[in-house]
Order: sequence, then C-alpha cells, then structure tokens
Amino acid sequence: MKLLTHNLLSSHVRGVGPRGFPLRLQATEVRISPVEFNPDFVARMIPKVEWAALLEAADTLHLVEVPKEPIQGYEHDERFLREMHHVLLEVDVLEGTLQCPESGRLFPISRGIPNMLLSDEETET
Amino acid sequence: MQKLTNDDPESWLNAISIWKNLLELDAKKIKLSQKNANSLKRKVGENDIIAKKLKTEQMQEIQENKECQLEKQIEEETLEQGNFTTKRDKSQEELQNDVAEAVDTHNQNDLTFRVSCRCSGAIAKTFTAQEVGRVIGIALMKQFGWKADLRNPNLEIFIHLSDIYSVVGIPVFRVPLASRAYIKTAGLRSTIAWAMASLAEIKAGAVVLDPMCGLGTILLEAAKEWPDVYYVGADVSDSQLLGACDNLKAAGLKDKIELLKVSVIELPLPSESVDIIISDIPFGKKFKLGKDIKHIIQEMERVLCVGGTIVLLLSEDHHRRLKGCEESSVPLNSKGSRTDKPGSTECLNPEEKAAISEPVSSSFAASNQECLDRMPPFGSLVPVECYRVSLGKTDALIYKYKKSHSPGQ
Repeated sequence: MKLLTHNLLSSHVRGVGPRGFPLRLQATEVRISPVEFNPDFVARMIPKVEWAALLEAADTLHLVEVPKEPIQGYEHDERFLREMHHVLLEVDVLEGTLQCPESGRLFPISRGIPNMLLSDEETET
Repeated sequence: MQKLTNDDPESWLNAISIWKNLLELDAKKIKLSQKNANSLKRKVGENDIIAKKLKTEQMQEIQENKECQLEKQIEEETLEQGNFTTKRDKSQEELQNDVAEAVDTHNQNDLTFRVSCRCSGAIAKTFTAQEVGRVIGIALMKQFGWKADLRNPNLEIFIHLSDIYSVVGIPVFRVPLASRAYIKTAGLRSTIAWAMASLAEIKAGAVVLDPMCGLGTILLEAAKEWPDVYYVGADVSDSQLLGACDNLKAAGLKDKIELLKVSVIELPLPSESVDIIISDIPFGKKFKLGKDIKHIIQEMERVLCVGGTIVLLLSEDHHRRLKGCEESSVPLNSKGSRTDKPGSTECLNPEEKAAISEPVSSSFAASNQECLDRMPPFGSLVPVECYRVSLGKTDALIYKYKKSHSPGQ
C-alpha cells in the first residue's frame, strides 16, 4: 500500500463519518522500491494530497526529506516533485495496520493489500 | 456464390495483398480498430471491398432483402477504418510465424487456403455450412489455382451468412483479438475491458476506481493505454485479489495499480474523491452478487466526483432490476447468431424481435435514443450512453453515466 493510497482511505465504520480520516498507520514491513519518475503525473496528484495526513504517515514511517507543503510553482520544481514522488509512490507498506481514529477499529495490511472489510454487525446501523 | 468469386478476382487479389502487407508490419505497430468481435471474425480492411461486392451479389441471389443492414455494416466498417486508434500488443512469436509463412508463400499461386463457413438464420435452412464452404472453395481453386489445405492453411477465408448481413473475411491474427501477452489470467474479455475504459474518458491525473475488479482486467487494459493515471482496484475475494496481483506483476503494472480488499457497498473512501469508476458487475453466473445492484450503484455515486463518469457492464437482469420493472424475460437477438458489433454503435431495444423487419440505417439514431430512454437516471447520475455487446454466449449492456450534481442539491 503506497502512501498515495493511504492518503485516500477513510474509515467507514458506521457513525464515524468524516472523523474516520485519516487512518493511523502502523507498519511492520515496509519496502522502498524505485518507481519510474513521471513529473506530470506527480504534479497532477499534488492538488489531491491531504497534507496533514501525508505528513503524519511519513512521520510514522520515519521518512525524511518530506516537503511540508506544496510550494509556489511546484509543477516545475523537479526537486520538489522528486521528493513527492518518493514519498507518495516509492514507499510500500507490505505488512501493518490502519486504525480508525474515531472507533479504534484496526484494519490489517497484508502483502501490501489493506483489508477493510467490515463484519456484518459493523455494517448494521 | 460462384459469381462472387469469379466475377471479381481483382478484389480478392487486392484483399490478399492487403493481408500480406498487414502481416509484414512490425508487430507492435499494428493498429486495429477495437471491436467486440468473437474470435472467428477478423475484418480489418478487406471486408470493406468484399462486403460491397457481396451486397450486389446477395441482393440478386438471396431473398432476404437486408440492404439497409448491409449498408449500415459498410458504414460502420468505413467508420472504423478511419478510427484506427490503438496499437495492440500482440505476442511476437505468433506474428513472426505468420510473417514467415506469408513471406514464404509470396508467390500467390502457392497459397494454401481453407474456407470456414457459418450459416445462421433463414439461410441455414437452405444451405449447410459445408455446402457453402465447398462451393466457394471450389470456385476459388478454379479461379486462382490455390490449393486447399484443411489442416494448416496460409490463408483462411471466413464466411458468415446470417439474416442480417453476409461477411467474407480473412483473419489477420491466428489468436483472438482479445488475447493479451501481458495478462496472465484473463477475467473479462480484454476487448470489452478496453472498450469500457475508452468510454470512460480517462484523462491524465485522474483517480480511477474499479470496485469489483476481480482479476483486474479492466484496470490492466486502462493502465496500458492511459498510464498517467492513479488506478485503484478493489474486491472482496482473496483469491481474486491474489490473481489480480499476479496479473499486475506479469504486466509490469504493479506500480500503477493499487489493490484494496474492500466491499463495494462500503467503500472506505471519502465522498466525491474518485473521478472515474469502471466496473464489470458480476452477472451471478460465475460469481455471486451478494448485494443489491441499487445499493452498489448508490455507493459508487457517493464516492464519485461531480462531473465524474461511471461505466458499467451489466447483464440483462441487472438492467431490468435497475428499471424496477418486472418484465418477463425477453428473447435476446437471434439466438445462435453472434451479433458482431463493429463500431459498437449499435444499440438494440430487446423488445425488437430477431428478424428486423424495418430498415435500420435511418432509424439508427432513433434506436440509440430508445436505448438511452430505457436507461433510467439514478439519483444524480445522468445516463449518457448505452451499448449492447456480445460476450459470446450472452449479451450484456455497457452503461455510461455522468454525475451531474451532489445529492441533496
């Protein structure tokens, strides 16, 4: 699970609503692997990024060199884009958990795939 | 039929040389128009010439007067020729073999061929497929001096006669159009997956979700064609996700497509966070659909951005349930005849019977509209287009919706 994905995920435990974001990340196995750098793609993803969530996750994973916020003219700033590229796409959480900040419910991540299926009781209102 | 082969040898020879030229092209550069054809019919350019010829012959010889149908067929084909948009990855070895063979038999007189024929509808009552095949085969042998080889011919001539059209074609590939070198285990037929992805108006920087991705076929096709996009696939089944993972690795797309184990009616995504949703909704034949189709589409609607697009593949059943009416099961178009949908612009109202009695070409736009009318809006989802496609044994419908506004507005 890449951090770009984590940035998009929100807990859907009943009653939690928008307080289910962001999910707290815990990782037991992380893989950093190179991904082809595509500046256009990264530039387009920047506006969609929830920065607080990203910084929190990056912090948990002890990542360094993470930009704190989008800078002016980021579309043309290669260094900025490369750093974002690394954070969003090259860090893969293989094993770990995601925790709903409101309900505390834990969702496991296994083989890089987060399992966010709720049981039947949890989906009942 | 004999007239067909004897009256115009030119067009046959032209077709053969086009076929040869196509085979000699570099495998990666072959452009084919996308269609939902079954594996036997491969018309690429030749049919344009031949179909026109067929039209005049058939009108004289066969009673069925489906002139307008044929015209439409020809129109669609010419449309397609103008729409060569895709490069298709094709397994190198297949093409090398074909090229080698074609080059070896450069001398046309050494061509070995086989005629494969299929008859359906009223014609099937008059002729058997073997008879037609034999007549054409003998005529060709007499006309061109080719030798018949039933086992491993260089050239395969394929003929399909039905109530609606007559097709004479030469397959360019030995493998189905839907075969892909980069997909390890295919789920949905790749041609349909691609067609759906192309309807979805995928733009660079979009977030594309397939909430019932299965083996990931749709996402794979989309990611190959539109790479600058963020793809997410989701499924409830471990085995499907594992299969999808394998497929992604085999295709080298592991970095482009993320997988989640989530349920489509409980998507852990904020509202209005996804630009495009493309999905093949399980028909219930191979995989069970545990949930109600309405709930599924509701949840999809929730996560979709305003102005976003949804493209779904639905069975007739789903379609009916969406409409909310209890129609008795209507027979689908000509049982047994595989309706080819070249430009995929045909959309038939299932209430029309198999034998289309009116000329369709002028009411083409009208029938499309009728199909649209039968597509119900869904909350803030506005129907845009609807196409009937053939999956081989069954038909299905591709629905395209756009989200017009946030619910509650």
